[in-house]
Formats: sequence, C-alpha cells, structure tokens
Amino acid sequence: MQETLLLPLIIALPLLGFVILGLSGKRIGEPLAGWLASLLVLGSFLLGLFLLLQGGAKWTLAEWLPGIPFSLNLDNLSGVMLMVVAGVGLLIHVWAIGYMHGDPGYSRFFSYFNLFIAAMLVLILGDSLPVVFIGWEGVGLASYLLIGFWYHERVNADSARKAFIVNRIGDLGFLLAMGLLWSMFGTLSISELVEKVEAGGYSFTTLTLAGFFLLIGAIGKSAQVPLMVWLPDAMAGPTPVSALIHAATMVTAGVYLLVRHAFILHGDGFLAGLIVAVGLLTAFYGALCSLGQWDIKRIVAYTTLSQLGFMFVAVGVGAYWVAIFHIVTHAFFKALMFMTSGSVIHALGGEQDVRQMGGMRKYLPATHLHGLVATFASGGLVPLAGFWSKDAILAYSFEFGPWLWVLMLGASVLAALYSIRWYVLVFWGEYRGKAHPHESPAVMLWPNHILMGGALGVGFMGLPYVIDYKNFIEPYLNKAIGDFPHEKLPVVTEWVLIIISAVVAIAALWWGFRYFQQKMPAWYERFQTAALQGFYADAVYNALLVNPAKGLAELLFGGDKGLLSGFAGLGSLMGGLGGLLAKLETGALRFYLAGLLLALVLLLGWGVLR
Amino acid sequence: MIWLVASALLFSIGAYGALTRRTAILVFLSIELMLNAAALSLISFSKLSGSLDAQVVVLFIIAIAAAEVAVGLGLIVAIFRRRETTSVDALRQLRG
Repeated sequence: MQETLLLPLIIALPLLGFVILGLSGKRIGEPLAGWLASLLVLGSFLLGLFLLLQGGAKWTLAEWLPGIPFSLNLDNLSGVMLMVVAGVGLLIHVWAIGYMHGDPGYSRFFSYFNLFIAAMLVLILGDSLPVVFIGWEGVGLASYLLIGFWYHERVNADSARKAFIVNRIGDLGFLLAMGLLWSMFGTLSISELVEKVEAGGYSFTTLTLAGFFLLIGAIGKSAQVPLMVWLPDAMAGPTPVSALIHAATMVTAGVYLLVRHAFILHGDGFLAGLIVAVGLLTAFYGALCSLGQWDIKRIVAYTTLSQLGFMFVAVGVGAYWVAIFHIVTHAFFKALMFMTSGSVIHALGGEQDVRQMGGMRKYLPATHLHGLVATFASGGLVPLAGFWSKDAILAYSFEFGPWLWVLMLGASVLAALYSIRWYVLVFWGEYRGKAHPHESPAVMLWPNHILMGGALGVGFMGLPYVIDYKNFIEPYLNKAIGDFPHEKLPVVTEWVLIIISAVVAIAALWWGFRYFQQKMPAWYERFQTAALQGFYADAVYNALLVNPAKGLAELLFGGDKGLLSGFAGLGSLMGGLGGLLAKLETGALRFYLAGLLLALVLLLGWGVLR
Repeated sequence: MIWLVASALLFSIGAYGALTRRTAILVFLSIELMLNAAALSLISFSKLSGSLDAQVVVLFIIAIAAAEVAVGLGLIVAIFRRRETTSVDALRQLRG
C-alpha cells in the first residue's frame, strides 16, 4: 500500500473528459469526441492496472468534512471492480463510437458516458461512506442523463425520471445506514469500521439495523424485488447505455456495497435470510419476465435482473468472493449480449421487436458468433464463464441448505431457457422483417471479439477446488473482503453438483433450442401476456402508490392554490385602499391648502373645546 | 387684546385669499398677510407678557419673509415665461 496522487488521477481522467466534451464537444465533433473519451478511460484502466500490480494504493485528503477525511482505497476488491468497470467500460466506449455514429448528440453522449465512469470509479474506490455516496449519487445522475438521452420522446424522459426516483428510495436506506454507523462508531471510513466492528463492544441489534439499511440501498441500486421496476424501463436509453448500466457498472454497485460491508452482514442470520429471499425472488421474477418479452433489449434487461438475483443469493449465503466473481463473468457475457443485440438493432436500422427479426445467422456471421457465445455463457454451458461462477453459487447454496440448491438450480434452468430463447428468436428461423441487414463496422466488431474472449475465458480464474487447487480469485479477493472460513464440501458431493448443473444446463439449452422454434401452445401465450407486463408489478405500484400520491399532490396543490388566492385577495384589497388615498394627491395647491386649514381649525377647535 | 382680534382678522382675510385666488401672485400676497398676522399676534403677546423674546422672533419672520418673496417671485416669473400662466390650478405637474 502506498500513498499516491496517481489514485485520484484515475477518477480525474474521465472527469476531465466529461468537462472537455461537455464544454466544447461540438467543436471536437465526430468521431474524435468518442476516441478522446475512450482514450481517457483507457488511461484510467492502465493507471489502475499499474497501481494494482504494485499492490494497491491509498490516498487521503485529511480535512474534507469536519471529522471525515476524503479517502480512496485501491485494494484487491476495488481493484477487480476497477478492472471490470474501466475495462468493459472501455470496450463499450469504443463500440459506442460505431453505434452512435451520426447521432446529433454524439459528443454530449460521450461526455455523459465519461461522467458515468468517473462516478462509478468514485463509488468503487471510496474508502469512506460519504465518498462512496458521492459516487453512488453520481452514478444515479449519469444514468438519469443517459436513460433520458433521447429526451425528445416523452417515454424516454419518463423512464429516466422513474429510474431516478426509484433509486432515491434506495438512497434513503444508504443515508440511514451512514447515520446509524456514525452514531455507533463515530467514523465513516470503511477500513476503520472494519477494525471497530472486530473490536466489538456495541449493540448487535443496531448493527443488524445498519446492515438492513445498507441492504435497502443495495436493493434500490441493484434493482432487486421490490424496487426492480426501473431497470426494464431503463432500456429507453441508447444500447451502449444499457450495456454499461446493466453489465458492468451501476446495477452491480449494490452487490459491491454489500460485499464491501461483509463484516457487518456476516454471521447475521436475519440479514442472510433476507438477502437470500430477495435474491431468489428476483432471480425467478427476472427470468420469468424475460421469457415473455418481445423487445430485444427488454429480454436482456430482465435476464440482468435474474443474474443480479444470483449475486444476491451468493452474498446471502456468505460467498462474498463468488458474488464478485459472478459480477466479473456477468460483466463480460452480459455486455456481449447487449452489444450483440445492439449490433442487430444497428443492422436492422433501429428495429427492436424480435418478431421482426430471425435468421440473422445468415446475414451477420460475426455477430451471430458473438450471440452464440453470449447465450452459452449466460445459459451456463460448460466451460464458459457463466458456468463457473454460477456453479460456485450453487455449491455455496447447497451448503446453506439443499432446498436452496434445488431452487437455484430451477432458476439456472430458467436462465438457460431465456438465453436460448433470445438466441433462437434473433438468429434462427427465417427473417421476418423488411430491412436490409448489414454487418457492423470494425469499430463495433472488435470490442465484441474481446468480450467474447472474456465470456469464454474469465471463468477459469475461479475453478472449483476439486478441479484446480489454484483457484486464483478466491484468496485474492478474500485478502480485501476478509476471511470468512467455511467448510468445503466433500469431493464426491462437489463433483456430483458440478455434473448435475452441467447436465441440466445442456439439457435446458437443447430443449429450449427445439422448443422455441415451434409454434407456442396456448398456455405459453397466456403466460407471455402476463410476463410482458412484468406480472403487473407496474400496475400494482401505480394503483397502490403512484395514484394515491398523485391524488394527494393534487389535493395539496388545490389547497395551495386556495391559500394563495386568499392572499392575493387580501393584497388587492389593501392595494385598492391605497389607490383611494392616492387619488387625494392631485397636485392642486389650493386643495392642499384647504386641507391644511381645515386640519388647523379642527385641531384648534379640539384644543379649545377640550 | 384688540391687536389680537386684528391679527385674527388679518389672518382670516389672508387664508380666504389664499384659498380663493387662482393667480400665484395673489396667493403669495395672501400668504404675506398671514405671516404679518402671525407677527402682529407675536408682538401683542410680547406686550402682554412683558418679555421681549417674541420680538426677536418677529425680526426673524420679517427677514425670512423678505428672502421668501425674493425666491418666490423669481420662481413665478420663471414659470410665467415658460408657461404663459400663473394659475395655481393649471400647475399640477409637481404632484408626487
């Protein structure tokens, strides 16, 4: 660990890009603006890698708020996240150079994009909670700007507002947690909190409450049930935004926050159960919703929900490194899935309805390959990235309780099904639309090539112990997360679990591949109608919360208006009286004189008569 | 006492003139009458009380009235040159 000024520079680079492109982006123009933004992110990535190879870094500004230093910390955990955010973020930047080609807001887009990366880096590197909170809010702001990027359409602006408002609910949890931790320990620095919690001497119930508030924050940001409604609507933004928000950055922030505070969560049965329940619910909800969507991006959006549920389960069962591992693999295959979708949308001139697609494997061979790998990785096929992280989650779930393992296996069957459904609808069968598909330019293909390599390969960082004792990522991450020892499963059990999950994934993929090419039976159509609406979650929220709140707001507004018009009436009354008096002021000298004398006579008369 | 009655008469005539006359010069004359009425009453009070203090005040009144007439007449002449009238009812522009 070293104190170095290079650490804040990692954040400053994309922030600089935000300022430059924001102020004079129009003059820089296309495609230079995009390349500038990408280069700055590349700078952050390389700088982060350099510092990480030196064993991490710290940077502290002693007096920032009274009693709270501004501190950044690059350890193994934030380092891995940094690599993902800056690395995958960089690829998405480069890809967006091609995708956003010809958009009137080209440089504005990249300016926001850099802001997003900068905020996310603050969130990751922050070592005191207020610093994390700055990043947390910055990410919220950037996502608001980006989701509503095409603000000319009301739907997009509404979606952006929805994401912003729902996230505020989660932020309330974060703030409450901060206040509680401050009152308990008198510090908000994460490293100091770790020490103080280990030292003991506090109320465990209050700590559970703090953990619960943190969980609410994480639920909001990671779009878990019941705060999941903003994420599918966030598809209103351009496709690179979806890829960035969903794959690499914002939604994983909640999971990251929980892992960072593993020392609070660990060993707390109530919180563990709650997190597992939330994750499980989300995993199923997302998967089932995804199976009913027709919009290519909404299909993928719901799969993200489901995968985030997996990560929550991993946190709940105490497998913190696995949660991060799944973030890493997920970043690769989900970014690939989004950007493949984007390439298809690009090829079809903006078409997003999968019913107008099909047969793309003939027209777009390279994109087809990307889609295939993304599907297999997301569906959990051996030995692609998604399999290993998903398998680790399953193994830990089995330790937590075999019933959880069965449920999670069910969720992963759904994961295989929704992945293959997306693939079949887009790439197989005959082309059902009318556009003329064309393959994407090299600037979009190459990032996908790299991501495809990642989706194939990153899983090998964390092989299960029965295959390879040199699991690289577990000890690496645990150095930063802290050691939470658990008993390893017996070798035979572990092997059986791996084989079952592998076979199940293959079977589900194969069955889905056949099934989704047929005509759908009636029951599936009915299910689809419900799933298309997200099982009416929005409708329920509208009926229970939004409309009553609207009614109340209108009532208050009416009262306000009544009160205001009352004041206005009083004001105009006084004004009228004043106007009457003003009429006396005529300028006629003799009139004044008469008044003067009259007053004199009255005064004298009063004085004499008294 | 008779001087006081005379002073009141003089004042009343002045006030009546100031109220009824339209020409600025006549209004002015009436005001001079009122001033002199005040001076007369002051002198008679001084005589009655046997103190000379009020007479000093009267001297001041005479001096100030002289100055006032100089300035006032100047103003009236200037206004007449510009507006061709000295009717106080026509000169209403200076109201607040």
